[in-house]
Amino acid sequence: MPVPRIVEAYVGEYASGKSECAINRALELLNEKEMVTLADLDFVEPFYTLRPIREELKAKGLNVIAWTTGETLGFGETGSVVRPDMRWVLSNPGHVIMDVGYGVKGSKALNLVEGSWQDPDLQILVVVNTARPMTASVEDIVDYVKALGPVHGLINNSHLGDETVVGFVQEGARVVSRAASMLGLPLVATCADEGLKEDLGEVDVTGTQVRYLKRHMQRTFW
Amino acid sequence: MAEKPIQGEKRVFMTGNEVVAWGALAAQADIMYGYPITPQNEIMHYWSRLAPKHGKKFLQTEDEISAGFTTIGGTIIGARAFTGTSGPGNTLMQEPMSMAEMYRVPAVFIIQQRGGPSTATVIYSQQEVTLTTFGGNGEGYRIVYSTATHQELFDYTIKAFNTAWKHRFPTFVLADGYQAKMREPLTIYDPEAKGIEMVPTVPTLGKEGVPGVDRPPVHMTNTRNTEEELYEVVKGLQAAYEEMWPEVEEHEAVECEDAEIIIVCHGVVTRSARVAVSQLREAGIKAGYFRPITLRPFPVEPMKQSIKGAKQLLMVESAQGQLARLVKDSIYGSTIPIEPMFRPGIGISSEEIVEKVQSLIK
Repeated sequence: MPVPRIVEAYVGEYASGKSECAINRALELLNEKEMVTLADLDFVEPFYTLRPIREELKAKGLNVIAWTTGETLGFGETGSVVRPDMRWVLSNPGHVIMDVGYGVKGSKALNLVEGSWQDPDLQILVVVNTARPMTASVEDIVDYVKALGPVHGLINNSHLGDETVVGFVQEGARVVSRAASMLGLPLVATCADEGLKEDLGEVDVTGTQVRYLKRHMQRTFW
Repeated sequence: MAEKPIQGEKRVFMTGNEVVAWGALAAQADIMYGYPITPQNEIMHYWSRLAPKHGKKFLQTEDEISAGFTTIGGTIIGARAFTGTSGPGNTLMQEPMSMAEMYRVPAVFIIQQRGGPSTATVIYSQQEVTLTTFGGNGEGYRIVYSTATHQELFDYTIKAFNTAWKHRFPTFVLADGYQAKMREPLTIYDPEAKGIEMVPTVPTLGKEGVPGVDRPPVHMTNTRNTEEELYEVVKGLQAAYEEMWPEVEEHEAVECEDAEIIIVCHGVVTRSARVAVSQLREAGIKAGYFRPITLRPFPVEPMKQSIKGAKQLLMVESAQGQLARLVKDSIYGSTIPIEPMFRPGIGISSEEIVEKVQSLIK
């Protein structure tokens, strides 16, 4: 039996943890011995991006589609250039994980990806951190997700950086789970730092699977 | 009246630009005027998302000159108004900033420094110190807070409004591209819950009553007819500036009492100095750091006191001596040798500071 193709786009608030969730997801899938493509589609002032660790991730076996900082010019006001292999990212065989930048346009960045709206496997997942005041309450999350365009599921990535404790992750899971129910969407996973694994376990308080994160993004400023 | 944006206090995780927007909201700012420029854009993004929910306003102007002047205009009619900019935008905004000095307009400016000269890189530097402290024509009658952490960005954004409205000098929060974009936890709060009262705003123009009948007319001018008239005005500003100086100046001196070598830094570099001093002390090296929080007015006397026992100063900044110029002017007469560690446009790590200190004491 072939492994079903997984195509996921991670969207969400600025600094919600999209890239960390996307990188870890791509590395997790790599263990299934399928080709895995990880694409950096962060087009809005990309300061924390996977660019600085592109080569490191490639060395782990991922097919990484991203600029390096030195290849690019004029971030922010001059915009970003979409590479051909970004536009055609969905034509790669195997699993495809897309790290989509923040911004009010949300998942509309996928308009730039050839065939995205026709792809039957595409799952657009919204990464939510309840420590961010604009997505702290059920009501705010619901309003925020409704404004993003097509979405297939939510990911609870509630944390306070190095200060995160299990209780905070669990409370985040409750809040994001309630928001997901109101939106008629699944809570796909809770993401948490691997340091919390012993106390948090395999599933969170809502019964949702916990995906543990190795943190790569601390080293990726610019 | 809209509900308070922050009830009590709350631990949150944000980027620095968002912190500024939330700080301004907590400070009951009425309006932001602005023109987009990296790395301050998310101040505008988040303010303009928050503003409609809380009965606040936002105006995007045609450029930074206009953003500066509209901020002054809003402030003059009694609005708690602010703007944010960076690099070339800071350069363009110097004319309205100078006007704010002359008129004593309590406008608030947030500066996220980026590289220069000119457009340069849009990321990080500490190269807007000279521009922000003394950039206008005139004498630099401004208050400039240099922050190091997200908590300070929040605290000093609130404080900037109060300092400005109490002392009536334009007030700046000076951060940088790192602080703008990096993310860390902090506590946001309702100032009142912390016992901080917001200084009431008052209109300069557009007051109640008929000018000349119910109240004296208001005459605002930044044009002086004679050299002597200008001299009187500037000397008056100077006297007012010197009067508020001791009340407003702020600094942080850590482990300076017995320090043989004192690291002098400001802003985000303080974070590296803090770690470096702690590691150097553990290694038995008597190191400390002195950091002006107000770059204008500079904490002259506290600095002189803090460094008096030191054998050496290490000036560390992500600029080619812009802080050093302020320091040298302030400690004139001191014979303590100064070692420069000038890294224009480049971030400075604690490891690099430790290594430099170790090379100096060998």
